[in-house]
Amino acid sequence: MDGDGDGQSRWCLSQVKGAVDDDVAEADIISAVEFNHSGELLATGDRGGRIVIFQQEQESKNLPQCHAEYNVYSTFQSHEPEFDYLKSLEIEEKINKIRWLPQKNAAHFLLSTNDKTIKLWKISERDKRPEGYNLKEEDGRYRHPSSLTTLRVPVFQPMDLMVEASPRRVYANAHTYHINSISVNSDNETYLSADDLRVNLWHLDFTDRSFNIVDIKPANMEELTEVITASEFHPLQCNTFVYGSSKGSVRLCDMRASALCDQHSKLFEEPEDPSTRSFFSEIISSISDVKFSHSGRYMMTRDYLTLKIWDLHMESRPVEIYQVHGYLRSKLCSLYENDCIFDKFECCWGGDDSEVMTGSYNNFFRMFDRDAQRDATLEASWESGSPGLPLKTWRVCAGSRRKRNEIGVDCLDFSRKILYTSWHPQDNIVALATVNNLYIFQEKLN
Amino acid sequence: MDVEAKRIMALSISKLYSLRTQRGGLRLHRSLLLSMTMRAARDIYHTAQQLRDAEEEQVVPCAPEEPMEITKDSPQTPNEVEMKPQEPKDTLVEDKENLCATERHSRKRRGKTALEPDFLPLKKARMDTDEEKQHLQSEVLRTNNGNSCRQAETLTAFTTNRAIGAC
Repeated sequence: MDGDGDGQSRWCLSQVKGAVDDDVAEADIISAVEFNHSGELLATGDRGGRIVIFQQEQESKNLPQCHAEYNVYSTFQSHEPEFDYLKSLEIEEKINKIRWLPQKNAAHFLLSTNDKTIKLWKISERDKRPEGYNLKEEDGRYRHPSSLTTLRVPVFQPMDLMVEASPRRVYANAHTYHINSISVNSDNETYLSADDLRVNLWHLDFTDRSFNIVDIKPANMEELTEVITASEFHPLQCNTFVYGSSKGSVRLCDMRASALCDQHSKLFEEPEDPSTRSFFSEIISSISDVKFSHSGRYMMTRDYLTLKIWDLHMESRPVEIYQVHGYLRSKLCSLYENDCIFDKFECCWGGDDSEVMTGSYNNFFRMFDRDAQRDATLEASWESGSPGLPLKTWRVCAGSRRKRNEIGVDCLDFSRKILYTSWHPQDNIVALATVNNLYIFQEKLN
Repeated sequence: MDVEAKRIMALSISKLYSLRTQRGGLRLHRSLLLSMTMRAARDIYHTAQQLRDAEEEQVVPCAPEEPMEITKDSPQTPNEVEMKPQEPKDTLVEDKENLCATERHSRKRRGKTALEPDFLPLKKARMDTDEEKQHLQSEVLRTNNGNSCRQAETLTAFTTNRAIGAC
């Protein structure tokens, strides 16, 4: 069930960002990708703790067949490596997640997190500066008092656009374990952060306190069987959030029920199929990402081999299951050996919730059209054809390839993987990260 | 089936071991998954061993050999297992078989610690930062009862970490 009939999709490569070297520095590996709420800005985070924000240019009237390009808007160092002296542990500067706040004024705000600390960044533009001070020259030197004979009011003069990023809040020391998720609440005042065993609720204005709302740490750590792997607030109901676990279940919690939401309101769990049980069943059932639909009616979970769409009204089983790369089911042992089985893939919804997307190996990504019940495998590569040309769809076959745009399972490159993806909130533009490159694909407009 | 189980078990142990040296501290999720996989493989392997041993003679346990395995580098550990399948692993299995159920679940699981070196997470990830110090202390206590060379290893590892911290 792969691809359209004619092997062409309606997606085309728009841009590629990043160096084309074969030798990739560890620090340059992208670890987070996120569009803001308008889609005008696209943020990426990397393992070196840096954030690069791209801005979409104003729509060009000359090129109606494609959306405007994204260009670098701001680059800043969000997190630095730290050392926890008490525990003798190094804290990586790698950016785990970026989440934008809805825009309230001219400035843009985003939350970025590494393993231990969340930061609120303000990104603002400066295109004027005051000139005509009485006591100082333009270069900052103080004027000699005897040369002061007149008094004037400084005026704002235009200057070259400068984009400044400044840390407004640092939310630290609230997580014993590694932070895997942050999610801004629809109330625009609070947000949650989740680590392996706890979920904390913060108010954006207060950095010295957070409320623990979920705690699954057992009294005896030897009895630990499950960790939290992903968490998100409901897009519309500010009292509702979900968290996914390493056992493949998702719990929905209502903060009105109690202060500590250890008792879930709903448990979304699909009974395991005993016929597919193997040594690796636990690992591949671990939820790597959970995302609500824009409507708030559905929720999508990603585990190692599948994408599942759940109706929030039905806990017993998902309403839709999509095989991302089912051909890997027989390769789990090798994937365990090379650690790929632990890869955590993200997933995302299209703007109108009719399509969903997730990444795979060999720089493939998978598009699923829920309405048409069709899926496509596309490739993110420099050779994806010229910008503007529709991408060809691929097919992975068990044996050796027979046709063009087919590839055998054993030829897949597992070092080239697409873990991080983001979909523009309104338009059909997707951004995804290969190891160190950012790819932007657009739907062909006609 | 048990050959694969043993391979996965050895693989899991070496992965758990290499987790300790990874930047960023022990990953709880990863160690949990590795421990679970290792345990599942070990259970299959032991079940197969039990069936096999029911037909074979008893092997005399030789405990002093175990610490030598632990002091070797991690890449060698799976090789060791592969090359000498009948020796230490069998004795460890025997040791485990002879433990009564209550002892097996006690904190002083000597049979198990021999299988998995002290400084590895035993069963599930136990690297709780609050309890880590207690855990290390209790490891030291346990090795007091056992082998002195293991104690030295643990203490050395602990001290080295502190030294780095002080810099």
